[in-house]
Amino acid sequence: MNNIIFMILRRMRAPLIAVIVSFAIAVAGMTLMPGVDADGNPHHLSLFQAFYIISYTATTIGFGEVPHPFSTAQRLWMTLSIYMTVIPWFYAIGKIISLFQDVGLRVAVTTSRFAKEVEALSEPFYIVCGYGETGSLLVRALDSKHMRVVVVEILQDRVNELELEDYQYDMPALCADVQLPDVLIKAGVRHPMCAGVAALTNDDHANLAVAIAVKLIKPSLMVLGRAENAETAANMASFGTDHIINPYTLFGEHLAMEVHALGTYLLHEWLTSVPGESLPSPAWPPTGRWVVCGYGRFGKSVVENLQREHITTTIVEADPKLTGCENCIIGSGTEARTLEEAGIRDAVGIVAGTDNDINNLSIVMTAREMNPELFVVIRKNKRYNEPLFEHFNADITMQPSYIIAHECLAHMISPLLAMFLALARSQTNVWANQLISHLVGIVGENVPETWSITIDPHHAPAVDNLLSWGKPVTLDSLTHDPSNREIGLNLVPLLLLRDNKPFLQPETDLKLMRGDQILFCGTPQAKSALPLILSNHKALSYIMDGREIADGLIWRWISHKLSH
Amino acid sequence: MNLEKVIFGFFIVLAMTLNFGFFIGDIDNPAHHHVYELYAAIIVNLIATVLKFGDRTQIGAVHLATSLVADLQLITAAILFAAVSGTPSELTMINHVVSLSGGALLANIISVILLMAETISLRR
Repeated sequence: MNNIIFMILRRMRAPLIAVIVSFAIAVAGMTLMPGVDADGNPHHLSLFQAFYIISYTATTIGFGEVPHPFSTAQRLWMTLSIYMTVIPWFYAIGKIISLFQDVGLRVAVTTSRFAKEVEALSEPFYIVCGYGETGSLLVRALDSKHMRVVVVEILQDRVNELELEDYQYDMPALCADVQLPDVLIKAGVRHPMCAGVAALTNDDHANLAVAIAVKLIKPSLMVLGRAENAETAANMASFGTDHIINPYTLFGEHLAMEVHALGTYLLHEWLTSVPGESLPSPAWPPTGRWVVCGYGRFGKSVVENLQREHITTTIVEADPKLTGCENCIIGSGTEARTLEEAGIRDAVGIVAGTDNDINNLSIVMTAREMNPELFVVIRKNKRYNEPLFEHFNADITMQPSYIIAHECLAHMISPLLAMFLALARSQTNVWANQLISHLVGIVGENVPETWSITIDPHHAPAVDNLLSWGKPVTLDSLTHDPSNREIGLNLVPLLLLRDNKPFLQPETDLKLMRGDQILFCGTPQAKSALPLILSNHKALSYIMDGREIADGLIWRWISHKLSH
Repeated sequence: MNLEKVIFGFFIVLAMTLNFGFFIGDIDNPAHHHVYELYAAIIVNLIATVLKFGDRTQIGAVHLATSLVADLQLITAAILFAAVSGTPSELTMINHVVSLSGGALLANIISVILLMAETISLRR
């Protein structure tokens, strides 16, 4: 803010001096001009009177000739004064107005306001770089999960869009290039409450720059980097970016997961969705021969993952040389002839994975006409094409921004959630299906809240107290309603981390220990009830023994006497 | 030689000398204190203040502060003068006007000392 004041003062020097000098001359001259008073005696205006007259004249207010009608000499001087003072006056005002419209100054003002807002944040927050399709999805989800976000975006239009959005929390947003380390520092990389940075711009190089900058400024900070090219991903991995998100690889993995372990896939989708949304309906990708149109980054990942599931694929690609595709049918896939050649009539599924939405739609429409039984996977590139895709109603629609946002959420909600999902992938589909039906039974069909707690004196003082008295506390005691212990809270412990050893779906009779971290999934009501149990000694004891602890010295004495 | 420095020094010194000119004389004698001199002192002081705008160094900040003090005192003196001139209390109130300008003079002297210190420390 200081800089801005100095900047204004510096630029105002010339106009201010012009105003002072013109006023000085006009006022002095005015007092020297001979005049007459009402009685015809010679009269000179005093300096103060002259200053008064010039002031209202220069500002074009014009009260007239006071205290006496002017003499000719005074009027002559007045005429001169008008031109001499009004022009510098407007010059100064114009300068002030142009200063406030000055781009440099406006940027300085918004930047300093942004830095102040970030500095004032007192809760953990994430920095999201890039408010495009992905960024806006992620920001909306984080906001609805009550997490604070700071946004840096290079396009002013998108920042304006963000300001118009109806978010529940105030969101500091800056229009700046994240590749400048100074911008990242202003966004709060050094802030003690900063929980992590998500580099989600559509420019791989910018994401790389963010990841490097953050790792240098504060190595302990979690960095999520979006990388669509293999080289960028490798580069990011080389200096320890925590999570590298490649939407194409991820989609391939998800598709494979849908083919062989639908339950696991659903669990993944469900736990990383925005609370309140309903459970996505599952699609059952068939096994058999698939036709993949487009062998770019997306197509490659799909083919690789499908082949791992022992599904044969036929590739259709317009430019085999560029994509390094051997053994494929040449063509874009939009014409019936190419699809015929690829054997669309006896295939079970088609993947339209080019980077052009219209082509993709054209491919799948042609293919469905030829083989209505086809299972259709379509890649959606631009969100504004959403209505078209809704009309087409494909079995699976792949949208990079959606996948990236979900993956980021998995890491941002809690490090435990990402760990849980990784562990879940190595479990059987039966296990996942059982867990899902268990979850649906407890939390209902809507997307549940997912959160983690830590057993330590700071976060769970009540539990910690009992533990320090040598009284065992089981996980079960955290799952009952503190107002009526007969009723269970609608939550499920998903994962317990003890000494870096994860316990998947921990048993409820497990005895808690200091330093345990537990991942819960449940209804919002359960989430809001849990802190009471963790921090209120009385509530916890009530749940454990069913007895209210007597309050106060006298009641305690009486209850002590009664029990003996 | 730098024209900007010449103008800067000129206005600072002129502000002090004009201020001194108004201040000198019997404190209670209006005939010794001409109103035009006060007027000139105010104008020159204002210009000197504006010239000091936008310098972010420590010495620049003190420069600006001294000028602001001088402006404040001189303008107060001028308001007082305008209010009492031509009234019977002019003879007694002139004391206050002059003493206010004396305060401004001190501030202006500090300003000139700063200017000299700055010049000497340059050593070239």
